[in-house]
This record gives sequence, C-alpha cells and structure tokens, in this order.
Amino acid sequence: MEQYWMIARSVTYAQRMERMLMAAGIRTRIFRAPRDLSNLGCAYAVEVTGGALRPALSILRSAGLYPAKLYLLQQGKYVEISL
Amino acid sequence: MIYLDSAATSFQKPETVGRAMVEALQTMSSPGRGGYPAAMQAADTLFSCRTELAELFHISEPDRVVFTMNATHGLNIAIKSLVPRSGRVVISGYEHNAVTRPLAALGAEIIVAGAPLFRPDLTTEAFEKAITPDVDAVVCSHVSNVFGLVQPVEAVAALCRERGVPFVIDASQSAGVMPLDMATLGAAFAAMPGHKGLYGPQGTGVLLCGDKAETPPLLEGGTGSVSIQQEMPDFLPDRLESGTHNVPGIAGLLAGVRFVRGKGESAICLHERKLALRASEGLRKLPGVCVCARRDLFDQTGVLSFVVDGVDSEFVGNALAEAGFAVRSGLHCAPLAHRTAGTMESGTVRLSFSAFNTEKEVDLLLEALPEILKRLSD
Repeated sequence: MEQYWMIARSVTYAQRMERMLMAAGIRTRIFRAPRDLSNLGCAYAVEVTGGALRPALSILRSAGLYPAKLYLLQQGKYVEISL
Repeated sequence: MIYLDSAATSFQKPETVGRAMVEALQTMSSPGRGGYPAAMQAADTLFSCRTELAELFHISEPDRVVFTMNATHGLNIAIKSLVPRSGRVVISGYEHNAVTRPLAALGAEIIVAGAPLFRPDLTTEAFEKAITPDVDAVVCSHVSNVFGLVQPVEAVAALCRERGVPFVIDASQSAGVMPLDMATLGAAFAAMPGHKGLYGPQGTGVLLCGDKAETPPLLEGGTGSVSIQQEMPDFLPDRLESGTHNVPGIAGLLAGVRFVRGKGESAICLHERKLALRASEGLRKLPGVCVCARRDLFDQTGVLSFVVDGVDSEFVGNALAEAGFAVRSGLHCAPLAHRTAGTMESGTVRLSFSAFNTEKEVDLLLEALPEILKRLSD
C-alpha cells in the first residue's frame, strides 16, 4: 500500500489536519518528519495511505488547511509530489 | 477557612483538575518536541484544551488560542501588539493595573471613558465620544474585578468595528461566568486567566486572538517548529508560545474548562449572583456598611464590594481573616476603578463567590460581621 506523508509546519497544525481527517473516517498517523523533508527544521508529518490521499487533500483544502509539502514513500525513498 | 476571594483565584477546584495535573506529571513530556507517546500525549492535551476553549469562546481556529502564564501576560501581548510608543488608547474607568501599567510603560496617551458605577448607558456614551479613528486601540474589562460591574462590551465592540479601531477585552472576571462570543464581537484579542472562573491552576492563562490580530511576540525562543529560521514562526500559536509549556497546568485547565462547560456558564453565574444578593441584603442591614451595588445587583456578577464607614478596609479584611474568612480588601490592583467609583480613600472589602460557595457560608459571614465591625469601630 502506498504511503503519503503530508508535512505540517507545527504539531498543532498536524493535529488539526489529523482531527479533520479522522472525523471524515480517514485513518492517519502523526510523527516527527525526517529532517530532510522539512527544510526549515522541526516539523510533523501526517500519514495517509493509498486511495485516501485524494479525498484527504480535498477535505483539508475545504477546511483551509494546506500541507507544506507532500511526499510519497516509495521503496524506502521519499518522492516529493507537487501540491 | 471560608474562601470568598475567587475573583483573585478560585481556590476550590473540581477534583478532576488535580487528578489531571498529577496524570500529566506522570505521563506527559513536552509537546511539539518529539513523536514518542509522552510528547504526543502532551500535544493531544494542549490541542484538546485549545479546541474546547475555541468552542467556548467562538474562535474560528484552535491555533488562535494561545496559552499564557496569566491574564496579565496575555494583556501585555495584546497591548504591545497594537499600541506603539506614545500611542493613543481608550480604556474604561474600571481597568486593572494589568492594563494601565503596560500602557504607562509605553508612554501611551490614555483616554479614560469613565462613567459612574452601574450606568452602562453612560459608559457607552463615554466610549462613543472617546473612540476616534486615530485611536490605536480600545481596552475594556468585561467585568470589573472590584465591583463585579458588567461593562457593555457588545456596544463598545460595535463602536470599534464601525470606526475601525482594534478592541481588546480583559475577560479576567467573566471567563467561565459570562458568555463571550469572539466571532460576533470581532475583537482583536481577549485575555483571561485560567485560574479564576475557568477553574484551572494558578500559572495558566489564555489569549484569544481574533481573525485579524497581528502579533509580534513578547518572548522569543524555541517552539519545536521551523527551527532553522532565526525569526519566530509567523503562525499561531507557535509565534506567541516559545519555551516549554506548562503541561500539568494546561491539563488542569482542560479539566476546569470541561467542568465549566458541564455545569454551564449561566448556571454558575446565577449561583454566584444569588450568593452575592444574599450577602448584599445582609450587609445592608449592618450599621455603617455601604454596599457598592444596586439593590437588585443588575449588571453585576458574583463579585461584591462594600465599605465600612470610618474603618479602613484592610482592617476589616484582617479581622475577617482572623475569624476564618478569606476576602480581599484595599485597592485590588485597580486604583483607576476606585478613582472612578469614588472609593479611592477607603478602598473596599470585596467578596467574590465561586461555584463551590454555599448560602450557609454567606450566613456565617453575616453572623460574624456585626461583632467584628463593633470591635473595629470602638
């Protein structure tokens, strides 16, 4: 299953994203983003899997929440996906 | 001890507050500083507290709920965000030193929209005259900490919106007791303590930031976000929350907020007003006692001041303390309020009730007072 990591600027922002998605029935997980995924240092990632990405982004946009960056985890590597 | 000083801090807390604090000490570390369970549990607690406060005060986003040390801290952020050096500010005649001292430090021109006690019509008129488009900010307490006087913040907010002037509400005495709808008021900021009507522990406070609030930070430091950048983050709440949070305090505050929401602000206010009315009626029967309130306590919360003819209010407070009653006497850090009300010389003795006080406690005070006052007058 594909894993997508949405980078949030802060833990509070990540939590807002997580709660919004959970309320819509989309399973997520929050964790500290790897250093090379957050060019300003110290950020959180919100993970969604597979087909949940498109509805997740749509739900977040409608709530005015925008991930700073989006990555696809592929064979142990992260590939940035333009938002 | 019978505690009647909840306008200073609510001493009796719901049991859940202490339990939440102990649990936080035992299970939570620092929010935003790690992805491990103890850090995430702390972050969840803060987020839940922000969310519940945002719902209670009609704030659009939980990010706009900023944790502070107390209301004074929040007022300093608000005032220093809006008022430049030598700026021009309109305040009510019942403001606390938490408002007037930061303004004095800025060398601000302070215009006092003063009006006699319990005349909201005249207060509104005074603000109407004083608020001009060149004013940098208007600051008004929702409820006076000395007299329990409810100020017409809705009318003042409307004037500010109409004239394009930012409005700051000091909700120190109203949070948890009276509704405060930030969305409707359109205020720039509202500052409040966590440890009074919200029943959290001392050392907690909240600053609600309105949608248009611009916020230069009062303190700079670590936030657990955008760490490479040497400027503070440009987003809330991180911009105003540098350093480690008071996690046990905020966990206690969350329990306090849930207590308030469970009981309902109106029910708490009604209970406190009922006790204040009982006290007021009893005090009026005592010779030499002047109660600083209307007979029906209209436009008033459960805070009640009185003066004893010819007796310094501090002597009354001391004598009551010896008899086992905790009250506040003197100027209550609000000399402007006393100047406006005409009680500057004597100060007042203040009784302030909480959800935990009872009619029996009021009756015990009223039974003890005649003897105490007689002794002091002799």
